[in-house]
Amino acid sequence: MSKNHLNKFEMKVSHQTRCERLIPEKGRERYYKNKIPYKTAKGRGTNETETLLLQKLCCKITGLPEDVILPVLQHALRIVGSKVDPLVENDEIQVAERIKRRLVRRGRESDAAVFSDLHRKLQSQGVLRNRWSILHLLLSLADSAPKSDNATSRSGLGSSVFGVGLPSHATSTPFNPALRHLQHPTPGSRDVTSLQSMTHSSGSSGISSIRSDINSNDPTPVPQSFLPVTTFTHVDQDRNSRSTGMRLASTLTDRGTESSLMPRGARTVIESGIPINRGDNTSYELPESELIKDIVYTFQGIDGKWIKFDPSKDAYRIDSQAGIPKAVRQLVGKLAECGWLFKKIKNYVETKTVDKTFGLVGQSFCASLHQELTEYYRLIAVLESQLHQELDQGIGLGFTGLSLRQLFVWTFDPLHRLKTLATVVDGCKGKKGGALSSSVYSYMLHGDPFIASLIKHILTMVAQPIYCTLVRWIYDGELEDTHDEFFVASDPTVKNDRLWHDKYTRRILLTGKSINYLRQVCKDTAPIKGREKSIEIDRNNAYVMFMQDTTTEFQNIIDEAYKDTSLHLLDVLHEKYKFLDHLKAMRRYLLLGQGDFIRHLMDLLEEDLAKPAGNLYLHNLTGILETAIRATNAQFDDSDILKRLDVRLLEVSPGDTGWDVFSLDYHVDGPIRTVFTPECIIMYLRVFNFLWRAKRMEYILAMIWKNQISNARMLRAIPELTGILHQCHVLAAEMVHFIQQVQYYINFEVLECTWDELLTKVKEAEDLDYIIAAHQKFLDTVTARCLLDEQSREILTQLRTIFDLVIEFQAAQDNFYSEATQELDVRRCYGHRRERRSKEGNWEVTDEEEEDEQLRRISFLKQIIPSTRARLTVLSQSYQDMVRQFLVMVTTHQDASLRFLSFRLDFNEHYKSKEPKLQSPFMYRGLRHVT
Amino acid sequence: MPREIITLQLGQCGNQIGMEFWKQLCSEHGISPEGILEDFATEGTDRKDVFFYQADDEHYIPRAVLLDLEPRVINSIMNSPYANLYNPENVYLSKHGGGAGNNWASGYTQAEKLYEEIFDIIDREADGSDSLEGFVLCHSIAGGTGSGMGSYLLERLNDRFPKKLIQTYSVFPNLDEISDVVVQPYNSLLTLKRLTQNADCVVVLDNTALHRIAADRLHIDTPSFAQINQLVSTVMSTSTTTLRYPGYMNNDLIGLIASLIPTPRLHYLMTGYTPLTTAAQVASVRKTTVLDVMRRLLQPKNMMVSTPVHRQANHCYISILNIIQGEVDPTQVHKSLQRIRERKLAQFIPWGPASIQVALSRKSPYIQTANRVSGLMLANHTSISSLFERTLNQFDKLRKREAFMDQEVIQQLVDEYQAATKPDYLAWGTQQASGSVDRI
Repeated sequence: MSKNHLNKFEMKVSHQTRCERLIPEKGRERYYKNKIPYKTAKGRGTNETETLLLQKLCCKITGLPEDVILPVLQHALRIVGSKVDPLVENDEIQVAERIKRRLVRRGRESDAAVFSDLHRKLQSQGVLRNRWSILHLLLSLADSAPKSDNATSRSGLGSSVFGVGLPSHATSTPFNPALRHLQHPTPGSRDVTSLQSMTHSSGSSGISSIRSDINSNDPTPVPQSFLPVTTFTHVDQDRNSRSTGMRLASTLTDRGTESSLMPRGARTVIESGIPINRGDNTSYELPESELIKDIVYTFQGIDGKWIKFDPSKDAYRIDSQAGIPKAVRQLVGKLAECGWLFKKIKNYVETKTVDKTFGLVGQSFCASLHQELTEYYRLIAVLESQLHQELDQGIGLGFTGLSLRQLFVWTFDPLHRLKTLATVVDGCKGKKGGALSSSVYSYMLHGDPFIASLIKHILTMVAQPIYCTLVRWIYDGELEDTHDEFFVASDPTVKNDRLWHDKYTRRILLTGKSINYLRQVCKDTAPIKGREKSIEIDRNNAYVMFMQDTTTEFQNIIDEAYKDTSLHLLDVLHEKYKFLDHLKAMRRYLLLGQGDFIRHLMDLLEEDLAKPAGNLYLHNLTGILETAIRATNAQFDDSDILKRLDVRLLEVSPGDTGWDVFSLDYHVDGPIRTVFTPECIIMYLRVFNFLWRAKRMEYILAMIWKNQISNARMLRAIPELTGILHQCHVLAAEMVHFIQQVQYYINFEVLECTWDELLTKVKEAEDLDYIIAAHQKFLDTVTARCLLDEQSREILTQLRTIFDLVIEFQAAQDNFYSEATQELDVRRCYGHRRERRSKEGNWEVTDEEEEDEQLRRISFLKQIIPSTRARLTVLSQSYQDMVRQFLVMVTTHQDASLRFLSFRLDFNEHYKSKEPKLQSPFMYRGLRHVT
Repeated sequence: MPREIITLQLGQCGNQIGMEFWKQLCSEHGISPEGILEDFATEGTDRKDVFFYQADDEHYIPRAVLLDLEPRVINSIMNSPYANLYNPENVYLSKHGGGAGNNWASGYTQAEKLYEEIFDIIDREADGSDSLEGFVLCHSIAGGTGSGMGSYLLERLNDRFPKKLIQTYSVFPNLDEISDVVVQPYNSLLTLKRLTQNADCVVVLDNTALHRIAADRLHIDTPSFAQINQLVSTVMSTSTTTLRYPGYMNNDLIGLIASLIPTPRLHYLMTGYTPLTTAAQVASVRKTTVLDVMRRLLQPKNMMVSTPVHRQANHCYISILNIIQGEVDPTQVHKSLQRIRERKLAQFIPWGPASIQVALSRKSPYIQTANRVSGLMLANHTSISSLFERTLNQFDKLRKREAFMDQEVIQQLVDEYQAATKPDYLAWGTQQASGSVDRI
């Protein structure tokens, strides 16, 4: 017992403890018991060490600290002690006899005969030395196995225990699962089934299907945790060596010299397990070396002499003529799977490498596959050289060369790899670019760390080109994607001002977009910082892109690049292109914020706009605009902004006056056009049109009011008209109230509130998209609240009708005032005439004249009072009806904000008291719901 | 610059409040007492041109005409730091110099004689503006010059500028005090007639209320003229902020008052201001919200008109305009209005739609105020008629059975205000008219 051996044993112990955790309490004791024979056999004579190890083991198992472990340790020692000197016959013959007897007792005479025959052969061979111990072990297993079958349903336990029971196998090579299958074909053993299932899955089933196969094929419910446990050991070992092929090769080459890696005991077991013996083959059987040669060919995807690829069945077939035992056939079949898988992967790689459209991601995928295949080639090369060596040296040098079983063992790991690769290849068929890498990534989530690490390697390769593209995109805004693989696509036909919206189809997208935008539209070429940081993440780590749930590194880089560029872009937009100034200009001019200017413009335009729309000349209007700017506070505005301000005439429909078609316009170009898109400008113009109309009403009513004030003074001379005047005043007051409230509504609920929101958003914005979205929302809200959306069409029409009535009232009042003023003039003339005559010393008036005058006055009054009164009454009636209808419509409108308007319009509930519809409980509910 | 406003300051009182007004405007616009634009104020987006005109690039001169029949107040102005602010040609002092002796008739007749000279000045000012919006007259109605000369000017302005608005800031006498002017009711009544017939909008500054506010709200037992005038100038400057700081609405005088005055004669406006503080109190001022401001503005104690509560007459608001300055969240406005309506804090006319208009106005960036939010209310309330009734009553006591035509006009005004409290105000003039037609 070497020290080395002991170390390995310790390693195994730790592994065992891991297994033990998976064993429920009940099974644990039995587990110990099973382990003990080994301990006694190997650990005898080193009592000190044994106790120490036992203590450690107890600690590990129980998880208790060393000082309190004593009772447990004592118990363990008792168990061990009780078996320290088992009554075993140290005689091979005796053990063999017992085995035979037992077989006979169970009625398996023929088996007993076979056993004795085999035993005799073994004895004659002299290859196996520890025959006694092996036989004893087999016997004691035969004793315990059926018991465990009955006692617990965990039939696999025996085999697993067996596996660990043989320290040499378990520790020295990664092939022990395979060994187990060979050595321990216990029916129902889960390892066997798993092997079967693996061969089943040799088709194109995915790795995941292997799992399901295990489940479905396994007759006994086995705790799933077992398989991973065994594979864990592989991976742990794998981690140290760069590749399986290398390791295999070294194992093989070192074989002769450093056979300690595969202890003699183990090897003898292997060979004894092989059902066919090379030196003992019968005439009808094919020599194993032939088969091995074929198999090695098959491994390379080449048809051998006996094993050929059958394209119709898509499988390797052994020549049915060849004299091969069924068991060997099966074994060969399993081995051929390697070849099949290899062929499949190779085909894929070959076809795709020539595919020019496959793209960079595809190419790197192929390259990674190729790398894997190269490892595989190395294995085959080693196998082949081994084969040739053998042929050269001949047989009979104390040990034989390759055997099918050996091959099977050695190719177990590569097979696993190939299978994984084949599955990935299947999964990636027909995909390219990002889809390809995504589907590779999906395997990354595989629970098997072995597979996961393999996939990780592939993914790293695959992700590299994407990462490169990404880095260029993020930091340079350039899209170098000749194969349409990147998730950002560009459309070069798009013009610059549409760049932001159309050319590219989230943060990455935004980041690259920002830079591209800066470079192309803003002509800004300032270097982007943080590039060095990204280089730090070297390309081999590109897979982190896909590991966002586990690492935040990549996320951080993207975040940082996103933040930097977005801020830079916003900075450029604000500083260089004065975005906020333009936004404010939009509000001042297109949304009538610059009240003094708008008012003056209306003063100046009034005359022109009253004309039919066709008679308007743009240059006249532009001139007036200039005058209005110069005369008002608009003059203090930035000249760049004023330069952009222009007059625009909307499409003329028949019957339109200048008022209907006049519009202000604001020219936007360059980068700000990205926010103020033509669509946005159209929306601004629509809102302008609405505001302009409302403003005109305010303007008209101010004039009406002014006329009333001055006329009321003059017409005091005709007291008979007081009633009509009063009627005019009251109606005008009602109209003024309505329009003023509409204006207050527009001012607060439409403009101020939404503007406030927009400004806050613009200030807190971190990227351009946010600003664009905020601006769009602003416009949408303004449009909707200005009744310009689809749902409000009817209300808007109603409002226009009310506006029309205001204009009609203006006409009616003007008409009345002119007639009244005329009458006043006539009377004044009459008065003057009387005065003149009086001065001349004549009679002021004759009776006749006075009577005429009186009659004229009466006829005037009789003519003007009833007609004007009637007209005003009708007007005022229809106006009030319209307003009430309008209120009903607004109150029932879906948009709650419009109810603010109805609230303002009927603050003192004047209309409510007159309109039953406004009093209905439904409306009330609606109102309450809103408030 | 369109929509200019010319300010006419008449008499002792008119010139005093006028001067405070210009002081206030100068500080708000960053104009020094010499009329020079301060360095810090060159970037402003305010409209100085409504009340000032530019002599040169940085020299601003008020569109003001200072008129008086006695030299005391004008001399004190001319000896103050603001002496160089005004255009000396616009300062007119009667050569007679003896004043109007608190006599309306004296003021009226003197003005009649000085017509040419006064209107030379006014015409020149009017010609100096692009599109004159109107005149603002500052005067008291109780004295001689302000009332008499004021009345005369009102009549003549109507003749000469029939299309221009005339707004007056008229100081009503303190009725709590026994006036040393026996003929005060005469003066008031005669002036009221002109204010009713010839002015378009009268902002009533009731000395009674101003003194009460000074005593109750500011805790000044014997307020000085300067302190009272400070209150007045605050009201005057705030009521013009929307004209001086352009926004979406209320950019001209006509827009501002058209919505407040439904029928031409009901054009007397009350004012209220909050928060009322003196410099000493500033430290203890609470934070104010829009609702606070609007609610306080509706409280009678903050009104600058003292109107005894008439229980018999159902007095109500014809219209209200609140001009709110400071940091205001626009979304607060609607909520505040809703509260006021829910709690029925304001009683409105029964014959037509009426509501509280709220205008948010910018505040001068050059003046530091302790109040986050301040508010001015311009309200057309029918209870203003009680002020006229009071004048009528006093007049009645004096007239000793002699019939005056002028009294009838004011009585009619009182009647109309009473009528405006009732739903049938809509048909108010109709009955009168039909009556007269029948007579013919």
